[in-house]
Amino acid sequence: MYKLMLIILMMTVWLSVHFLQTDEEMAMKLLYQGKHALNRAAHAASQQLDPAAMAEGILRIDPDAAERAAAAYLQANLQLDAQGNPLPNSPVRERVNVLVFDVINDDHTFPYTYRSEQYDYEATLQRPGVVLIIHVVYPRAFTLLEPIEWDIKGVSELTVR
Amino acid sequence: MRNILVFVLFAAMVCWMMFSPIYKHVLIARQAVLQQETDYLLEVGASGSYGYIDSAMMEQSRERLAAFGMQPELVRFEVTADNGLAATDPASPLPRGTGIMLRMSYPYENLFQIDRLIGLDPVSPDSRMRTFGLKMSEYMP
Repeated sequence: MYKLMLIILMMTVWLSVHFLQTDEEMAMKLLYQGKHALNRAAHAASQQLDPAAMAEGILRIDPDAAERAAAAYLQANLQLDAQGNPLPNSPVRERVNVLVFDVINDDHTFPYTYRSEQYDYEATLQRPGVVLIIHVVYPRAFTLLEPIEWDIKGVSELTVR
Repeated sequence: MRNILVFVLFAAMVCWMMFSPIYKHVLIARQAVLQQETDYLLEVGASGSYGYIDSAMMEQSRERLAAFGMQPELVRFEVTADNGLAATDPASPLPRGTGIMLRMSYPYENLFQIDRLIGLDPVSPDSRMRTFGLKMSEYMP
């Protein structure tokens, strides 16, 4: 009888370890996906040149257009609706919050060092750019893991050739 | 006698526990590789020197995926632009500000067949894992 108990015990242990590993691998994948979505959103936002300023030879980002572009790219890359709630085929299950959206425009002197004490983030920009921080919660399948949440941070500069 | 009975009772489950993690790992790895390929194609296609993802790039991508043990002819690409223009034509690259949307998919094949050992219905081999991405083109004529 003790062998039966041992088999059941070992199966439980083995299965838990297996689930834990699968969950951790999936979490890593989601983190990368979130980071890529954020990079693309920041990149799209930082390319929104203000045409009026451009006509005067000034490179300036249009903050409203930048915010719209960032939202659109974040929504497309993480499959979210306009409020940031996940659509049915989204890799996330909880709302994605935009914590920081800062446009660093030509009213600063470059190189400019952006610092955020709250989110422990620092970046040096050579040109006007956009700083974006989002909060993503991993939908863990098994409660073996502690909740996994990230503040994903990124910055993108205006690209001019 | 009782030992043999216990073994027979648990044989299917023991087999599943020994081998299913490998299949699940292959599944996760394939999805990751497919996502990586999507990211790479977007990174190159949306860069300042291209502005499109043409069939030659897709062919190279298939070759890279084949190196990971996937069957190149089963990989499916779907490239669209957010303004409705063709995104696969090298002769007319998408200008800066246009989004290139890439969707890739690959069938699950028989990765879930092993779940039948514990009585689960496997996912159909024809259903596909999907990855996607949207990136703004940087191309300037």
